[in-house]
Amino acid sequence: MPLARSQMTAVPDLFAHASDEDLLLAHASGDPRAAEALTQRLLPRVLAQALRMLANRAEAEDVAQDAMLRLWRIAPDWRRGEAQVTTWLYRVTVNLCTDRLRKRRHVAIDEVAEPLDATPSVAAQMQTRARLRALSDALAQLPDRQAQAVALRHLEGLSNPQIAGIMDISVASVESLTARGKRALSAIMAGRKAELGYDDDEPA
Amino acid sequence: MTMTNPPDDMLDDLFAQARNLAPVPDDALIARVLADAARPVPVLRPQPSVLAQMRAMIGGWPALGSLAAATVAGIWIGIAPPPVVADYATGLLGETVSLGLSAEEFMIAGDLSDG
Repeated sequence: MPLARSQMTAVPDLFAHASDEDLLLAHASGDPRAAEALTQRLLPRVLAQALRMLANRAEAEDVAQDAMLRLWRIAPDWRRGEAQVTTWLYRVTVNLCTDRLRKRRHVAIDEVAEPLDATPSVAAQMQTRARLRALSDALAQLPDRQAQAVALRHLEGLSNPQIAGIMDISVASVESLTARGKRALSAIMAGRKAELGYDDDEPA
Repeated sequence: MTMTNPPDDMLDDLFAQARNLAPVPDDALIARVLADAARPVPVLRPQPSVLAQMRAMIGGWPALGSLAAATVAGIWIGIAPPPVVADYATGLLGETVSLGLSAEEFMIAGDLSDG
């Protein structure tokens, strides 16, 4: 990860034992190093969550910046012990992503086709990108709450109780949403099997 | 479950590929995020509604209560003036004067005098 290091090495390991919440409260009381430490700790996770749902780097970066901005804004009002910072961020990010997906429903697929990188992209890379974009577009067709539950369960690998905490619903509701969401996703994706190269190539 | 259906195999494979994504924030993104963090937090207080603003201008609920009481008293004095008011009006204007603000008031006054 050479890219991230250049700016990040400036942050000393002063906060190694501080919790996310400690850092957030330190930021609220005006310690500029706390924001750097929090960014180093949380931004990669937020960006990954957004990219998994949106399959578009530029959109994921915008969402990640927006989610972090909301974190800076909530800092002065954060009440210790009330919620986990990571849970709060998962919720904010998944909501921002479903907002984006909802807008995508009204846009024709070819309008949002992402330009390919100039890097020598082998066929396999292009195929992976096309597949993940197809998954994201399928997610966009689900009702918001189903898409969120499926994303948190299957893209983030979170447990049902964790998802229940993030979405503020019961574990039973999470189970029902993920089951229905996955069935719907499966039906949507079944039609794109051949196009995505799942006919001749054995599933991993 | 040993039997899996092919679309689910595909879906599970796609989920796994998505989970494998581990993007590294680049310098530009980090700079954007830290610039946001350095900016002072705007004080976001919900804007009071127009009604709430008018209420505050008058002096809040207690003032509104007094205003309502005064209004009711005024209407009542208009409908059934106590003798002292009627005498004062007669003294001032020289004759019996009846003033109404709306058709309803005339009707109410009429009902009262009939009954």
